Amino acid sequence: MTEKKLGLPSVVATGVGVVVATSCLISLGIGSAAIGMTFIISMVIAIILNILFALSVSELNALMPNLTGGLAQYTLACMGPFISIVVMVGGYLLCNTIVGSAECAMFGNTIASVLPNIPIPGNYYSVALIIILMITNLNGVDVFAKIQNVVTYTLIGSLVIMGVLGFLKLGTGEVVAQPMILSTNFTDITSLCGLAFFLFIGSEYIVPISNRVQNARRNVPLGLIITLVVVFGMETLLVFGFHNYTAWADLGASTTPHILYGTMLLGNFGTIWMALVSICAVTGVINTIISSLAYIADGMAKINLLPKFFMKTNKKGAPYVGILIIGGIMALINATGLSTTSQLSFLILTGVVFWMVAYIVTHLNVLVLRKRLPKAPRTFKVPFGPVIPIIGSLGIVWMIYNISSDPATRISIYLTCGFIFACLTVYSVIWVKKVMKLKLFKPIPLEKVMAMENDLYHVYHNAKSGDHIPKLEK
Amino acid sequence: MELSRIEIITNNSKIEALKNAMGKYGITGMTVSQVLGCGVQFGTQEYEVEQKKEPTLLPKDLVMLVLPTKDVPAFLKFVQEELYTGHIGDGKIFVSAVTNAIRVRTGEDGLDALCQN
Repeated sequence: MTEKKLGLPSVVATGVGVVVATSCLISLGIGSAAIGMTFIISMVIAIILNILFALSVSELNALMPNLTGGLAQYTLACMGPFISIVVMVGGYLLCNTIVGSAECAMFGNTIASVLPNIPIPGNYYSVALIIILMITNLNGVDVFAKIQNVVTYTLIGSLVIMGVLGFLKLGTGEVVAQPMILSTNFTDITSLCGLAFFLFIGSEYIVPISNRVQNARRNVPLGLIITLVVVFGMETLLVFGFHNYTAWADLGASTTPHILYGTMLLGNFGTIWMALVSICAVTGVINTIISSLAYIADGMAKINLLPKFFMKTNKKGAPYVGILIIGGIMALINATGLSTTSQLSFLILTGVVFWMVAYIVTHLNVLVLRKRLPKAPRTFKVPFGPVIPIIGSLGIVWMIYNISSDPATRISIYLTCGFIFACLTVYSVIWVKKVMKLKLFKPIPLEKVMAMENDLYHVYHNAKSGDHIPKLEK
Repeated sequence: MELSRIEIITNNSKIEALKNAMGKYGITGMTVSQVLGCGVQFGTQEYEVEQKKEPTLLPKDLVMLVLPTKDVPAFLKFVQEELYTGHIGDGKIFVSAVTNAIRVRTGEDGLDALCQN
């Protein structure tokens, strides 16, 4: 019996589930409180750059379809193993694990604030959530898809309803009379583009599941773009709602602006509802992060960028080593109660910089393959030649420059990123030279990267020297 | 009207999807043969470590059809996109000129022999 393929709604569910996170709602609150409704302009700039990235990913997916490692494999074929490891280990595994941990911590804080009479620390809730999601993911793709759809549609529905109620002033709370716009200064708007960018990143998680998507040629690019547009629509409604029901000053001062909005819109009922939405958001994000990162680690191990044990699967076909390690690290970070809100915000912005670097590399990958394989058939090709990848790259560099409006914070983020890049560089050089025994910047031929997806490739290539062909049972 | 013969050699596993896609594209006739062959890799599988020294013939499908020459570029683009996976063994396409085609039952020739009457 063939496995049931995922349709376009499931593709969008996966994308929206990971893009919309509690930290996104907090970013939305901070950005709106800073300049008012003009934050929507920052969001428009950010979504345009994210759509340009989605187009580049779609072209790479058309040229190298059905890859489990996604951006790592594209980069290996275009720029060689060194950059693949630094950008993809740094940009994806590390920063997603950190951002995911921050999400879980916010989840715990939200529950603890909603249930103040129960003397259980917030991080207990966080760890419990991670363990539950690890178990469901260990049960394979079907459980993952079912959870993802229910969670995501609950989240989308709730945010749309609360956004519309706020937009149309239909809440039970008192409508606040305040200016719509706090600043029209273009510098203020651009300084928040980095924050706005975080509202949309992550849609590329669709790529690793593309081999399980029905009519992937159409549904993957379409799913990427629909995901971004749906998220933009929801978040724009919420910005209008913030304006109508929460004083800008209170919104900016709150560590949980989304809960504040729920309370001001619908009283206690709104508090509980927004808390439930937070739970849904975190569940969706953590579920997708654990699953997708495990598959990405599996893909990276296939191309020898990570140790082979990430390729091991259980009876349900789930890459259990990746699930256990990624979930375990997130649980450990939360168990130590490491994070305050300011630390979490800082970690998120630091992670975003790595993410942005990965996006720039993706745009460059498109240009490299255009040059190297100009005649290869592409079922999807980014229009206007090299213009869109170039504009996309420059736009993201500009975003990194504007990652924070506070110069001290910006310098701290740059220093942290520099330190992590330095550590990753050491790991990458040692791994490429000693384990892979390859040149740092020499691209692996595309057909070889594709061949590495075949499980038999590893059976043959892991055979002992002089005995490449595995012995068959008689 | 000038006619061209298209010969497509591809993996057995792709023939069903290719046949259905060509039907939707509007192709009204084709001939498929099961053949043996190898390309520049001498039949080496993509996952194997070393390339074979002697040619190894692998089972393939050969699809032959004849088209008006003016329709060939669009059809080639369609077939390439349909067969493309990026893996070794996606296939080869050969194009050659056809001097004439004759429908035996009616004696029609040229393009008339290929179209429904």
